[in-house]
Amino acid sequence: MNRSMGSVVVAIWVVTPIPALGQWLHYPTPGMPRTPDGKPNLSAPAPKTADGKPDLTGLWRHSNSKLESDLRPDDVQPWAQAAAKRSAENLRTDFWTTRCLPPGPLFGLLDLSKIVQTPGLIVILAEAANRYRQIFIDGRGLPKDPNPAWQGYSVGHWEGDALVVETAGFNDKSVVDYELHPHTEALRLTERYRRRDFGHMERQITIDDPKAFTRAWTMKTAIQLEPDTELLEFVCNENEKDVKHFVITEHDTKEMHLDSTLLSKYAGEYEVLRPGREPLAITVTVVGDHLMIERPGMGKMSMSARSETTFSVSFGEVVEFVNDSHGAVSHLIMDVAGDEQKAVRKNAATAAPLADK
Amino acid sequence: MHKIAIALSLWLLAIPLGAQWLNLPTPGIPRTADGKPNLNAPAPLTPEGKPDFSGLWRPGPTPYTYGFDVIQDPKDENIFLPAAEALFKRHLADFRRDNPVGHCLPGGPLTILTPGLHRIMQSRTVVALLYEGGSHYRQIFLDGRQLPQDPNPAWFGYSVGHWDGDTLVVETAGFNDRTWLDMAGHPHSEQLRVTERFRRIDFGHIQRQITFEDPQTLTKPLTFSLALNYAPDTEILENICEDRDSAHLVGKANTSLELSSESLRRYVGTYEFREGSPMVAGFMGRTQTVALIDGTLYLNALPLVPQSETIFDSTGAAAEFFLDTNGAVTHLILSQTEGDARYNRMR
Repeated sequence: MNRSMGSVVVAIWVVTPIPALGQWLHYPTPGMPRTPDGKPNLSAPAPKTADGKPDLTGLWRHSNSKLESDLRPDDVQPWAQAAAKRSAENLRTDFWTTRCLPPGPLFGLLDLSKIVQTPGLIVILAEAANRYRQIFIDGRGLPKDPNPAWQGYSVGHWEGDALVVETAGFNDKSVVDYELHPHTEALRLTERYRRRDFGHMERQITIDDPKAFTRAWTMKTAIQLEPDTELLEFVCNENEKDVKHFVITEHDTKEMHLDSTLLSKYAGEYEVLRPGREPLAITVTVVGDHLMIERPGMGKMSMSARSETTFSVSFGEVVEFVNDSHGAVSHLIMDVAGDEQKAVRKNAATAAPLADK
Repeated sequence: MHKIAIALSLWLLAIPLGAQWLNLPTPGIPRTADGKPNLNAPAPLTPEGKPDFSGLWRPGPTPYTYGFDVIQDPKDENIFLPAAEALFKRHLADFRRDNPVGHCLPGGPLTILTPGLHRIMQSRTVVALLYEGGSHYRQIFLDGRQLPQDPNPAWFGYSVGHWDGDTLVVETAGFNDRTWLDMAGHPHSEQLRVTERFRRIDFGHIQRQITFEDPQTLTKPLTFSLALNYAPDTEILENICEDRDSAHLVGKANTSLELSSESLRRYVGTYEFREGSPMVAGFMGRTQTVALIDGTLYLNALPLVPQSETIFDSTGAAAEFFLDTNGAVTHLILSQTEGDARYNRMR
């Protein structure tokens, strides 16, 4: 099955890691500090390279924590706002990764990636679509007037123990966040990576595109080291059969307008319970006349009402809210092309409706 | 000519679009007194004293020969088992429309054999190979792990490396069977095992030996001796293969056209480049040998699929034979997207 965005972001997030015949997926990561009982010691100090710089090498997962953004609606220029709205209405089918094309500035926000660091060059290998990205730390400057590229051109330098990466030269075909805000070729991305200890890294992304936004704004996320596993090959267009079905019908775009009392009944905190792992936190909020769903590593995505209880997020993905016998919302079900996942409401019995913050 | 155009465009992926970082002097490489890269300087070593293969590498000197057709040596002819040979013939009859590379899928063993411009990035526990073509990567683990047992078949398989003196030996298995060994269409099975031996003889040169073993496909191993040349003062360009063409890859060769051995025999001979596109001559070679084997006409090692009495399709080019008024073949024209080249019959 080809997993396309709309579905793909979600599918990666919901379905991976795919336990495909357990190959190298349980191999102990060499060089990992361990506690006496053999478990990875993720609080051990961050490793250093031979020349004393922080070593960011490792397999990192982006999808277990919230993406904090300081973007306000007023910061988005009208044309960009309209474009984001149109993409959401099209159920994200025009998201470039739906067509198995690169994620652009979103690179590395999707699930698992491996950082390999050498003195003059850092490479990020993404599991998603088997793509790589190079960050030169050999002193070169950004190219002047480069040929626009999906991933742009990246150079890095050290500021104390933080790696600062500047990227420019993007093409204008991708988006900068899961709210589908577009960008232009003027986009300049500044990332700061700080490895706090062995198992934790902070990543901050500043988006500066004066042609799409009125000011530079910042997203923050925490990244966790993923011990004792490995990247799986994922070729996006393998057995691709989906794209021709991405035909938006009137039924898909016909949105029901639900009153805000009903919407706020659904707002609240939910979690996907996972045996042996941290639950995945999901937040549903009311923004204007819409519900927004926020999932780890993915930011907020708008939901369009299809009935009083069901909402579309992206093509092929439906979220349904389910009531208990007292008429209170007890859980939600995310259905990605038939693959269902349940998230129970936190404090379901006592939760007061959470209105727009 | 459309299929040929596609086949060719796949080989010309490294399009120098706008000079960005493409002329930047590579920092930290040895240089001669006049500032030129010193490609004969000693090979660098890692802190552990192993050869360091890191750098940007371009295969040479005839990088694509085996990628076109793995059978270049007479001793390797008839190396394919009958079922594999039949599948090869079917790929030809289908105009190679199922070539995975033509559908923007990874080349697998073909990419390993003919990687194009690529970066080798070596750390102590893993070597990453970053390919310009298709912008895919491959990992070779040096951390002592073994090849996985019964892995999920993958486009690039699973690779582990170890040191044999100053040679890096890489074993790869666990391929899927959807890729081809070459652009000609020679298949392989999931049993394929690739062994690569890398030796960096000096700063600018790597000797590479590659062996394909596949008991379900090959009667004996196929071995290639190849070279990689350091590519100084340049950089990889992003290269994203957008699958826009494959919907049009509907061609099917005119398999109903069968020419008798008698009518084919007149084309057998040696042809020399006379005039026309130097690109074609550079690509296809200045001498062409046409042979008749078991009722099939071959241009060098590749079968010619008849489209008419005088026009044939082949990998990388179409061939048309010309006859004089007595019916004797005078010359051959090979056509590619770059143009046509005339080859006169010598004997």
